[in-house]
Amino acid sequence: MTNKLTLLDVDRDGAIEETFARINRETDRSGFLKRAGILAGGIMGGGAVLGALARPAGAATATDVAIANFALTLEYLEAEFYTQAEASGALSGKLATFVQVVGEHERVHVDALKKMLGSAAVAKPTFDFKGTTDEEGAFSETAQLLEDTGVAAYAGQAPRVETDAILNAALAIHTVEARHASWIRHINGNPPAPEAFDKAMSMDAILTAVQGTGFITSKPSMTGSGDPSFTG
Amino acid sequence: MPKQHHLMLEVVERVDPADLVTERSRDTRAAFLKKTVGAGGAIVVGGVLIGGLPALVTAAPGAAQDVEILNFALLLEYLEAEFYTQAEASGALDGEALEFATTVGAHERAHVEFLEGALGDKANPKPTFDFKGTVEDQDMFLQTAVVLEDTGVAAYNGQGARLTKETLVSAASVVSVEARHAAWVRDIVGESPAPKAFDDLKSKEEIEAAVGETGFITS
Repeated sequence: MTNKLTLLDVDRDGAIEETFARINRETDRSGFLKRAGILAGGIMGGGAVLGALARPAGAATATDVAIANFALTLEYLEAEFYTQAEASGALSGKLATFVQVVGEHERVHVDALKKMLGSAAVAKPTFDFKGTTDEEGAFSETAQLLEDTGVAAYAGQAPRVETDAILNAALAIHTVEARHASWIRHINGNPPAPEAFDKAMSMDAILTAVQGTGFITSKPSMTGSGDPSFTG
Repeated sequence: MPKQHHLMLEVVERVDPADLVTERSRDTRAAFLKKTVGAGGAIVVGGVLIGGLPALVTAAPGAAQDVEILNFALLLEYLEAEFYTQAEASGALDGEALEFATTVGAHERAHVEFLEGALGDKANPKPTFDFKGTVEDQDMFLQTAVVLEDTGVAAYNGQGARLTKETLVSAASVVSVEARHAAWVRDIVGESPAPKAFDDLKSKEEIEAAVGETGFITS
């Protein structure tokens, strides 16, 4: 029962749903900004890309903020999972190395995303990993699922990112998640690269998967309000 | 050797004369965009970690640029596919190295087919290769595979922002598989599968220089 990552274990207090509702609201707002950006670009004669770059210094698009917060939520989850697993003392050998290296990567990803988002960053939720951080078998199975999910999540969002600097950051993280996935699969005796093409998953599909774990137990709240500025 | 190296780069960089006009206007545009980014980029990017990523010149994505990038990807996939196909056929591999060559070779051949299909009659032809014995010795094979796969990851990542969003959807499903290959072979040879928190993004020029140095592409 411990780590059965079925979809039956629902997000009872709506914590995750709240995060994603917030994300979706911001995504909706982006329709306006996007039109505004294209309009500005049209006036300058350079098209949508110029429009995006010509925005006031420091302004990020609402879509990018929503995506970055979505990524941050997943990175919070991974980082906390590995931090707790490392602290549990239950892991040895290859798994101990894995949790140390990968945990550090995920914490770095959290820091980078928080810095990028500034006051627009979603707050860290609280977690309950249901014993999966205290036992090698459950840990390694869960880590594989989390990493494969992370790969699919970044693949799904990268093409939606509007600002090149943020896209480049997402790409640089995406393949590190894929390396983690491959590594834990290798340790688990599963094919590290099971298919020639990895699949992408939408935000909604990821939401369902994350809800299924029941790992997020508190309602996350935004640390700030107002216009996101990516002031770092 | 320098002469050969030069030749390799020419082969790799072969540009269709018809593209030269586009190439030139793109450069001008890129220079302008760079200046524009210069004003806002530092603020947008902020943190040291993200700021440390290379500032890749980004010209506006479009169909012609997608073709150029997909042909660049196709060249790398041709190289990888042929490398694994020859290594598997050499009979020099056994155990997990053989399993790796078989599995990853099939993936790279699938990537070649996919890119050829996407490019249609705009696909560049497959070059000829000389892997200089690296496909006939297990240790050399594995060490070379690490370099090729890490290079593939950095190459796709470096082009991501230059692609149209539509094409990026496809590229994203390929690049993470390259990263899985890289991590797998690194684990086989005892190197860290994920050596950094952020993977490299390399420019086309950097990749072409690295590929040129191998001397693997002979025609």
